[in-house]
Amino acid sequence: MTAQSSLSVLATSLASQLSALMTNESIDLASLGLTQECGLLLDALKAITEESTSALTRHDQLNAYTSACGYAELLTEELCALDQAAGFCEAAALLIKAIRAYSELPTSDLRRTSLTHYTSSTTLTGVILAVDDHADNTELLKSVLGRSGHTVHAAHNGRDALRQLETTAVDIVLLDLSMPEIDGKTVLTTLKSDPILRSIPVIVISGEQDVNSVLECIELGADDYLFKPFNSVLLQARIKAGIERKRWHDKESLYLNQLEQREAFIRATFGRYLTDDIVADILEKPEGLKLGGDLREVSILMADIRGFTQLCSELEPEQVVSLLNEYLGTMTEIIMSHRGTIDEFLGDAILAVFGAPKADEAHADNAVHCAIAMQRAVASVNATNQTRQLPNITTGIAINTGRVVAGNIGSDRRAKYGFVGSPMNVTARIEDLCGPNELLVAETTKDALTQRFKLDTRGAHSLKGIEHPINIFAIDWSEDTL
Amino acid sequence: MTTLLIVEDNELNRDMLTRRLERKNYTILTAGDGQEALEVMRQSQPDLVLMDMNLPVLDGWEACRIAKQDPQLQHIPLLALTAHALDQELARALDAGCSDFATKPIDFPLLIQKIEGLTQS
Repeated sequence: MTAQSSLSVLATSLASQLSALMTNESIDLASLGLTQECGLLLDALKAITEESTSALTRHDQLNAYTSACGYAELLTEELCALDQAAGFCEAAALLIKAIRAYSELPTSDLRRTSLTHYTSSTTLTGVILAVDDHADNTELLKSVLGRSGHTVHAAHNGRDALRQLETTAVDIVLLDLSMPEIDGKTVLTTLKSDPILRSIPVIVISGEQDVNSVLECIELGADDYLFKPFNSVLLQARIKAGIERKRWHDKESLYLNQLEQREAFIRATFGRYLTDDIVADILEKPEGLKLGGDLREVSILMADIRGFTQLCSELEPEQVVSLLNEYLGTMTEIIMSHRGTIDEFLGDAILAVFGAPKADEAHADNAVHCAIAMQRAVASVNATNQTRQLPNITTGIAINTGRVVAGNIGSDRRAKYGFVGSPMNVTARIEDLCGPNELLVAETTKDALTQRFKLDTRGAHSLKGIEHPINIFAIDWSEDTL
Repeated sequence: MTTLLIVEDNELNRDMLTRRLERKNYTILTAGDGQEALEVMRQSQPDLVLMDMNLPVLDGWEACRIAKQDPQLQHIPLLALTAHALDQELARALDAGCSDFATKPIDFPLLIQKIEGLTQS
């Protein structure tokens, strides 16, 4: 999955949240003066999801992302206080984060990469720092090398050399050994111990015609060595070789940076929904994650807060948000620790899937263990709520097992990684049957369990929109029975 | 009231920046290319120019250079909007006479900070 197609997925999801917001009659966008902005964001999102975006230049692409980002931020600022816009704001935050991760170049490391790298790739010229305490020598180097198209900076002592290396992008250093204060060998040692500067080739030019001195400099990391008076043809050849080496190194660093950037992007995009080991798995072998969609058996868990709508009408909006964050935060942790994948938050409801994207034979057992842990965690959520003068809540959880299509679902133009199939709907219907503190599972889940749980039959239920009645079982999750 | 001139050829982006900055109570003028930017600057003397660099007709670098040589315009601070955070891009923008820059996608709070800094001094 390329970065662009992930952005396209996030943009599609934001567009659908936005469309829902625009048709939501309880929000008067016109009176907030936001109707046009909504339309413009929709246009910008469309531009991102258009197939042609990948064919655009990076500049045009960034324009599309910039405007989407800008409108998404503007609308988030204006709407974040509204409960009905929570889904939109969440989707917007994800897209904004992903766009920033995608477009941000790692500038800190590029700062010291030579600028000539980008301007003159045909003729091999570079930026040279000539370090010598005699100005005559640096002037000579300037005139000889300047004529070949190199840019030559001069430093007249070791301290000045190190300072210039910190602030200027340099391709190669020509280093004299005997200098006052900080001598050449110290400069060499300092330079080669700096993680960024060490890649700059150093050619030592010295009057010391002494083999031991040559050996010492090479051991310290010098790339080449010339004696004074230097032969200008030889020097030019060695400089050319040094710059070539530096270019290869820069290219390699740039490539590494891009890889790291891609990894950071995938983590930023999926980290919220998937557990760390699944993200690691995707990063290690992208081909292992089939995004084309495959039919597989999974266990689907749906949980919600009982009587949440009633609760909402009795609380201040900030209280509702605080309550939800505490609840959803706790439950998310539990789901992830049981290897579940969160498919969606729908207000107070959580939809999670076990057994995808990474196959997991024990998906039914994991789902039930997860649900039990969630029910037990409600007590601690309530304890926290009490300290904030918030009411106690109860949750109902339903689990169903069946075959669903998991993957990139939709058309080429509009796709979302998700799950489809009637087992998803059946789960929601079973959830409707749940009473407070109840944990109900379908017969398919019961049959898929390999571990023993205490089950009570609740009989066969005819569910709305489902052809055959479904046998439902309640799982006793109290501490003493397990 | 602070008046800003936004120079950007991409209509979606120009409109987006205009709307966001108007919400922060700035008066906004716009131009779609470098030539138009110089005309608006001469006519309306904005307090600051936000200049995209890749522009048709007359590009941003050239427009900045001309503005900085024009006695009537050289006092107006210029802020470059660039698509790249590369040193080379930034160096080019600063060389052309820009006082500061913002990279796309725009970090809005940071942009506001820079605008405030440049218009108060």
